Amino acid sequence: MVIAGFVVQCQPQSQQDTVVALEALGQVEVFGADEKGNIVTVVDTDSSADLEKIVKKMESLEQVMTVGLTYLNMEDEAEKIASGELSPDPFPRKHRPEN
Amino acid sequence: MVQTRRDFLKRTAALSAASYLGILLPFKDVGNALAADETTWHRGSCRLCGTGCRLELGVKSGLPVALRGVPQSRTNMGYLCMKGMHFWKLMNHADRLTTPLYRAKKSDKFKKISWDEAMNIAADKFASAVKEHGNNSVAYYGSGQALTEETYLFQKIFRGGLQTNNVEGNPRLCMASAVGGYMTSFGADEPIGGYADIEKADCFFIIGSNMAEAHPVIFRRVMRRKLDNPKVTVINADPRISLTSRIADIHLQFNPGTDLALLNALAYVIIDEKLHNEQFINDYVTFKKSKGDTIDFEEYKKSLVDYTPEKAATIMGGKVTADQIREVARKFATSKGTLSMWTMGLNQRKQGVWANNLVHNLHILTGQLLKEGADSLSLTGQPNACGGVREGGGLCHILPGHRPVEKEAMRNQVEEAWGIPKGRIPAEPGLHTMAMFSAVNEGKIKAMWINCTSPAQSLPNCNKYNKGLAKDDTFVVCTDIFPTLTTELAANLVLPTAFHFEKTGVYGCTERRSQITRKAINPPKGAKPEVEIVRDWATLLAKKLNDPVIDQCIKPFIGLEPEYALPKAIWEEYSQKLTKGRDSDLSGAPYEVLEGMYDGVQWPAPTVEYAKTGGTVKKFVRGMDPLAEKLKTDDKPYQFYGAGHPDHKLWVWMRPQANPEEMPDADYPFYLSTGRIIDHWHTMSMTGRIPELLRANPYSYIEINPKDATRLGIKPGDMIEITSRRGTNIMPAKVYEGPIEGMVFAYWHDQHPDRMINKVTMDAIDPGSKEPEFKICACKIKKVSGPQALKPYVV
Repeated sequence: MVIAGFVVQCQPQSQQDTVVALEALGQVEVFGADEKGNIVTVVDTDSSADLEKIVKKMESLEQVMTVGLTYLNMEDEAEKIASGELSPDPFPRKHRPEN
Repeated sequence: MVQTRRDFLKRTAALSAASYLGILLPFKDVGNALAADETTWHRGSCRLCGTGCRLELGVKSGLPVALRGVPQSRTNMGYLCMKGMHFWKLMNHADRLTTPLYRAKKSDKFKKISWDEAMNIAADKFASAVKEHGNNSVAYYGSGQALTEETYLFQKIFRGGLQTNNVEGNPRLCMASAVGGYMTSFGADEPIGGYADIEKADCFFIIGSNMAEAHPVIFRRVMRRKLDNPKVTVINADPRISLTSRIADIHLQFNPGTDLALLNALAYVIIDEKLHNEQFINDYVTFKKSKGDTIDFEEYKKSLVDYTPEKAATIMGGKVTADQIREVARKFATSKGTLSMWTMGLNQRKQGVWANNLVHNLHILTGQLLKEGADSLSLTGQPNACGGVREGGGLCHILPGHRPVEKEAMRNQVEEAWGIPKGRIPAEPGLHTMAMFSAVNEGKIKAMWINCTSPAQSLPNCNKYNKGLAKDDTFVVCTDIFPTLTTELAANLVLPTAFHFEKTGVYGCTERRSQITRKAINPPKGAKPEVEIVRDWATLLAKKLNDPVIDQCIKPFIGLEPEYALPKAIWEEYSQKLTKGRDSDLSGAPYEVLEGMYDGVQWPAPTVEYAKTGGTVKKFVRGMDPLAEKLKTDDKPYQFYGAGHPDHKLWVWMRPQANPEEMPDADYPFYLSTGRIIDHWHTMSMTGRIPELLRANPYSYIEINPKDATRLGIKPGDMIEITSRRGTNIMPAKVYEGPIEGMVFAYWHDQHPDRMINKVTMDAIDPGSKEPEFKICACKIKKVSGPQALKPYVV
């Protein structure tokens, strides 16, 4: 479980369309917006990898100007990494110079 | 209804984002059942660019489990970017270095050794180098990512202890021309204003910066300003259309290296159309042909006749028109506040200082300075290039507190502060970065300490310098958190260090702002903070060289625990003894003050009371800068007290258009430029180890203009050989309306031997700043095959 809060910025006139487009991505929930085109968005995914994919999709929406992170909780993943259950190493090897 | 942990976290995330906007959500209490959350929050700075974003790391049971922005912070208003979102994964990464590694010869395999053995070897090698080859046979090469306490302590030991000014750092490769520009135009290093001008500016002039990728949070602020105020004008000047260009009202796209003509043409229009600020010029400005040759306004004006908009447009080629130049000049001069911002596009040039001067000229001529929304603001690439290296004494010619090495009185002040004999610090500046690595090539440097940086990848024309680094003539110590190409190629001794939030210290960002990050979690067992390593090494050095002065250098720090007391004592010495009375005065900002601030303190901040207000938002302005009042020479509102200009004026410079060192020709017909991509930081030794970031951009590619691609039969994904007079790369093509026709662009993070673009770049340097011309050289390209499956590579 990785949960993140974002302020998504779009043109004010495209706010409604942007909200629809964000929610259509799945795993994205919109909690509110202001008149300037700022949208309170929460993404709930199984992993950082999934979160990264969703954020890339959010950024690629035509109406979206920026995606600003305000909060991230990754406690499950951090515990798995610490216990060795999950490795953040993208390469299938240990590559310390001594090995 | 029972609230789950997931519900609780989602509501927390929503409340966090909503609080930034003042939006009320229909829930406030995030749940009594979870009120006893054990997460503790630790405030600090992000370390993955020079913006200085403030964040809090959530720690539970000793693990990093959450991040949140600090909305009260004046750097980022709480917003974070995606690089910043992932850095916590480096803290428990399987590749972290956790034990000292040693090999006598660089062709040998490393073997694990104890810390005692490692410290003895390091001290032996440096001591014997000094005894056998003299003080200048040793060198320190540091980083704009090292904490100020680290850079300061390293340079103290090298200058005061080992009596050499061979103290350098990678900011020479990115910021030195900005230093030269500020010193020669304003008489003092670092910007007059800062980020606070973004929300007041009516015109942005962004030149040589892709801030959308390199400084995304600053870009966000600029975009917000533009969205809130549609009349705000954004001008982007760059040979390449980048993500930054998408918010530009005007994009000036020109042949690389011709922007000096553009900047002179803007000055021409400003004067020709009488848009300059005559009163400001009369009160505050001197015109210079060279340092010793003062000219008058008329002579300066005459020098611009070669840069009419029509002539400049011809020089610049590309798509710029004379009318566009006029329009930009008018907007620049007449807006309520014009804010220029740039990074490496201007700095990493053989004419880097001149390019900086020419931007400053525009602000001085128009008086677009010293008022809200107006500034000439060089953005820093690294989190502590300003605070640690420029201010803390991390370059070969500058002692702590902006003191030039060559001035005896300045050296004596430092010697007195350190309690060491007068004359101990050598009078000659040390070797600048490129000279230092040339000396390695020549076998003149016998022992070198490389801290938190990877010159084997980041030096331009790196094949040339890697030959020297690979030789056994130079004993190399590397301190780092991960293996790098430099540890692999050059190191005899690798010492594992603590990472950010695993140690305590201060970073100073772009806008003269120093911010503390306190230790929040333990480093991996076996890794140590650099300040502890340097102190222990210096203790042994003193014995091996039988030199009580080295002992004196570390005496204030002996016996202090390294997690907090040691860096605090180092900061105390630096801020109270070395910055006090200087323009970078931080004597009002001891740890206690910095810890109480959401976002640190902007110098000058000479008293605690003043520092607690946040410090100086605008330098040189009476009523805003305490030194402007204290050092005033007349009753005018602006006081230019910088030590570089004895006349207390701003200097407008005649700087003609001059070509880059290497221009395209029949053999090498393309311009090559390089830069960052949003997902990766520098040499990728960190971001390449984060799966999400690596997957987003697993390798570099070469951007080619569609017209060039069509002419050469190149399709997207084709493998392209890029060759200069220095080296060759092979990487996939991205056919893209980005670089101007006749130019190609490559990202420089990739470590793979085939795609390490600094094998191709050029090591010509700016004669003043000694910064290399990474941004422009000549190359040729050819298709060698269709698309191929590539694998990412991290050492």
